[in-house]
Amino acid sequence: MKLRELFTSDSVELDLSAESKDDILKELIQLLGLDDKSDAILFKTLKRRENLGSTGIGKGIAIPHCRSLVVNKLRLAYGRKPEGVDFQAIDEEPVHNFFLIVAPPLEVSNQYLPVLGKIAQFAKDPDIPEVLSGIETAEEFLTLLEERAP
Amino acid sequence: MTPASSSSREMHPQLMLLLELQDLRAQHRELEGDEGAAPVEAEHFNIDRDEARTTLGKKIEELEDRLSPSIRSRYNRIAPNRERVVVPVINGVCYGCFVSIATATVGDQDVHQLVQSCENCGSFIYVAS
Repeated sequence: MKLRELFTSDSVELDLSAESKDDILKELIQLLGLDDKSDAILFKTLKRRENLGSTGIGKGIAIPHCRSLVVNKLRLAYGRKPEGVDFQAIDEEPVHNFFLIVAPPLEVSNQYLPVLGKIAQFAKDPDIPEVLSGIETAEEFLTLLEERAP
Repeated sequence: MTPASSSSREMHPQLMLLLELQDLRAQHRELEGDEGAAPVEAEHFNIDRDEARTTLGKKIEELEDRLSPSIRSRYNRIAPNRERVVVPVINGVCYGCFVSIATATVGDQDVHQLVQSCENCGSFIYVAS
């Protein structure tokens, strides 16, 4: 499965408004379009994962991820905060790009871990942070995925 | 993608707790062994598997202590033998045992105001639409 096929333009936000780590997580969750109760459960689960160690992998990129019963298929969202937010990233630098990955506990197609690895690999490409910062539309983001993370 | 739940009323707090427990157990389980999430978490996120499992284990125990006695008793019967304590019901089918659930059990729009179990396999159920 191509990464491009797991995103929709609705799940991409190039100008996140949140100013803190918690609020960034909440804003990303909202991109999935779940109901309020599911949002609340998912937030707790993501927070608990963050408490194990930040998903900020450095170079301005974070990949919050978890499994949760509130989704019944693999869901992804991307958010960008041009000014950056303190996400306790590994390199202690502000994070600008956020890839949210949520998978159900029972996942027939077993895509979660390969997708997580693929996004981490994509994000670690040296020029990706700069390319992401220049994107102006959700469509451009999706095209980038198609070209760079086939 | 349709949200897993659409009831406008509050979810039963114990069901919410069970869902949290389910998610934590999934995280804990996934850090077992040399396959699954453990190598990915170690490679890309610098997670110490043993430390993470200990932290999650403690949190799981903490949440288990908040279950009411009757639900804790049902939980204790299910948890040791099954990976999933709470299972989704999708299109009327329990995804713990793949047997259809009575419409009377899951058809109500406020189904999540109760903590319900599958009559066949005993798993707690969460209705996904």
